[in-house]
Amino acid sequence: MGERAVSKFLVILKREYAEVVKKKSFVIMIFLTPVLMAGFMILPAMLAGREVSVGENIAVIDRGELGIGEQFVQSLTQYKLKGTDEPAYITRGIFNISPNDEQRFRQVYDSLAQAVTDKDLKYFLVVEPAPHITDTNLYLVTNSNNFRTIARFESRLSDILSSYRLRMSEVNLPVDSVLALTERIDLTLKDTKGESIPFMVKYFAALIFVMIMYMMIITYGATLMRSVIEEKGSRIIEVLISSVTPFQLMLGKVFGLGAAAFTQVGVWVAIGVMIFLAGGSTTLELEPAVERIVFNPVIVTFFILFFVSGYVLYSTLFALIGSIVNSDKEAQHFIFPITITLIIPVMIGIAVVQDPYATWVLVLSYIPFLSPTMMLMRVIFLAPTATSYSFFSGILAEATLAFLLVVVTALLVVWITARIFRVGILMYGKRPNLPEIIRWVRY
Amino acid sequence: MYLHLENVRKEYDGKVAVNNLSLEVPQGVICGIIGPNGAGKTTTIRMIMNIIAPDSGRILFNGREVDDTFRNRVGYLPEERGLYKKMTLQEVITYLAKLKQYPASKIRERIDPWLERIGLVEYKQRKVEQLSKGMAQKLQFITTILHEPDIVILDELFSGLDPVNIELIKGILLEQKRAGKTILFSTHVMEQAEKLCDHLCMISHGQKVIDGKLTDVKARFGKNSLQIDIDGDGAFIGSLPGVGGMTEFNNYIEVRLADSAEPEAILRAIVDKVKVRRFEIVEPSLYDIFIEVAKVEPSELRTDGGEGSV
Repeated sequence: MGERAVSKFLVILKREYAEVVKKKSFVIMIFLTPVLMAGFMILPAMLAGREVSVGENIAVIDRGELGIGEQFVQSLTQYKLKGTDEPAYITRGIFNISPNDEQRFRQVYDSLAQAVTDKDLKYFLVVEPAPHITDTNLYLVTNSNNFRTIARFESRLSDILSSYRLRMSEVNLPVDSVLALTERIDLTLKDTKGESIPFMVKYFAALIFVMIMYMMIITYGATLMRSVIEEKGSRIIEVLISSVTPFQLMLGKVFGLGAAAFTQVGVWVAIGVMIFLAGGSTTLELEPAVERIVFNPVIVTFFILFFVSGYVLYSTLFALIGSIVNSDKEAQHFIFPITITLIIPVMIGIAVVQDPYATWVLVLSYIPFLSPTMMLMRVIFLAPTATSYSFFSGILAEATLAFLLVVVTALLVVWITARIFRVGILMYGKRPNLPEIIRWVRY
Repeated sequence: MYLHLENVRKEYDGKVAVNNLSLEVPQGVICGIIGPNGAGKTTTIRMIMNIIAPDSGRILFNGREVDDTFRNRVGYLPEERGLYKKMTLQEVITYLAKLKQYPASKIRERIDPWLERIGLVEYKQRKVEQLSKGMAQKLQFITTILHEPDIVILDELFSGLDPVNIELIKGILLEQKRAGKTILFSTHVMEQAEKLCDHLCMISHGQKVIDGKLTDVKARFGKNSLQIDIDGDGAFIGSLPGVGGMTEFNNYIEVRLADSAEPEAILRAIVDKVKVRRFEIVEPSLYDIFIEVAKVEPSELRTDGGEGSV
């Protein structure tokens, strides 16, 4: 490409960029998307683990005749609402019912169940006879899934049953000291840097990075495809091709829309940084774990590298589709495999975060069409914990290799697409079959 | 800029669209590629524009193959018209001229006079989709010439234009020619072509049947046509001795004379049967010439498949 060719490329790039950025929907999406993302991903996670602010009502039906209900309710008094002296759980009743009195049991059970349905009661515990022998004889009825509360209940009931079993056994040991000796511990996690990033933080960070990439590629790839279809449909493509080469046209579109995508992400980053700086250390103190991910230079660098290379790779494929179809409708079943390929890492992300070293994870993350998302996930999980970085081993070496593979593949796809594009854009009406497309590549 | 085609050939799926076409278009002429629908005009023009590649043969401009210089010095109006619907007239004109690397200052200078000329200056900031079909045609025409091309190539020039706009565009093209520009257009409307071109190339079924200067072509066929205006049914004229063929137009009949025919004898034969209002020996029209050289039936030329609509 000579100097003139480059400047024609820039003329196309600028038009494609302006066409997107000037639209109202572009501005709306910039502000709406982070809100939606927060709504869909961060909020449920925050709510699920939140501290309740008012005490939760609980009742017990005890048919075991061992006093387990009483002991359980007693043991709950140790839990207070955060920052107050108010009890976290309020006992609304203990019903000791004989195991033989089935009729009364049903009656109480139904009324308590109704209370749960009516939200007057959050939980009620049912103790059937001999719970120390058969633990399914102990169950909690609730419509809530507050995992913090459930974990507390499990732990209290375990203690009560253990001590009962101890007392029943022949072993003559002081119950309290045995319980103290066998107390469950919460394992503290530390990575090789001596710190720990909680599982959820890693997972959601990875999910957010990958979702941004996925959304940007799909949105701008589809825009690119529609713009090619429109130019074919309005026949202006012939005028364009009399002024520029198909290759210039294709690259101008890819990079013009790419610039719009990066503008959008850039605005998000800028907003994020401004909130962070304005909030300082007072209002929006980031968890150190989050900070370690978001400000990790390796993660930031590879996010940019994989985003750019992945965008070029996929948007070129969208240009290819646009050049061989005649309408959005025809394009649908070509888009489907692309969407699936891009969304795979989001679907299996939970497995990746559990074992980023697994062979199958490693293999998948070297497939160029998956690398931008899969390898980025591995980078997010592994880079913050690495004690040193090397281009010859570890995550940095793996990610660099994957990135180079994506670049090589993207160049190959650009080359093939350019050859199909220049024939395809002038084919109106009939959609070419695969042998025809292959002939265009060779020709 | 002059244009040279040498033995150009193009096949589609075994069907020959253009067969060994050679053509010279000198600088500063208006040359018409004339032939019925499906003759290979659009394929030829697309090959000239380097939009499709010929299977064999060469196409040269000023002795050189298509390059970026050519792309910037040509103005092209494709058969199928279309512009960006969502852009304003100003944006579309500016964008297409910039793709020709025409200086921004000159675009600004020339945009208003041209819009004025085609009567669209008050639409400058409107979107293309707000224009009528005829307006969009005129707009696209000026995007073809605003960047002062050395050669203008127009496929099915007259399609979609009303008579008033045809006159407007003819006027502009004649001006361009006087300024030394080369103009190549294709059409199946021979009556219009005849009034505009000074060179022509007739093609039929992918083959060139005749080409050269309009005056030379006409001279070769001499004064061998009659235009007759009669009262009553003229069907019998076709079978008179000395008549090579006839075509009935709305208000007159055109008769091609066989080689050694005597017009007077034919006149006598007609006067015997019907009342003659006009009898004139004329130059053959391009239409007559085409029928004669391409050896096609007149019906083949009258099928207008609505080609070139937007």
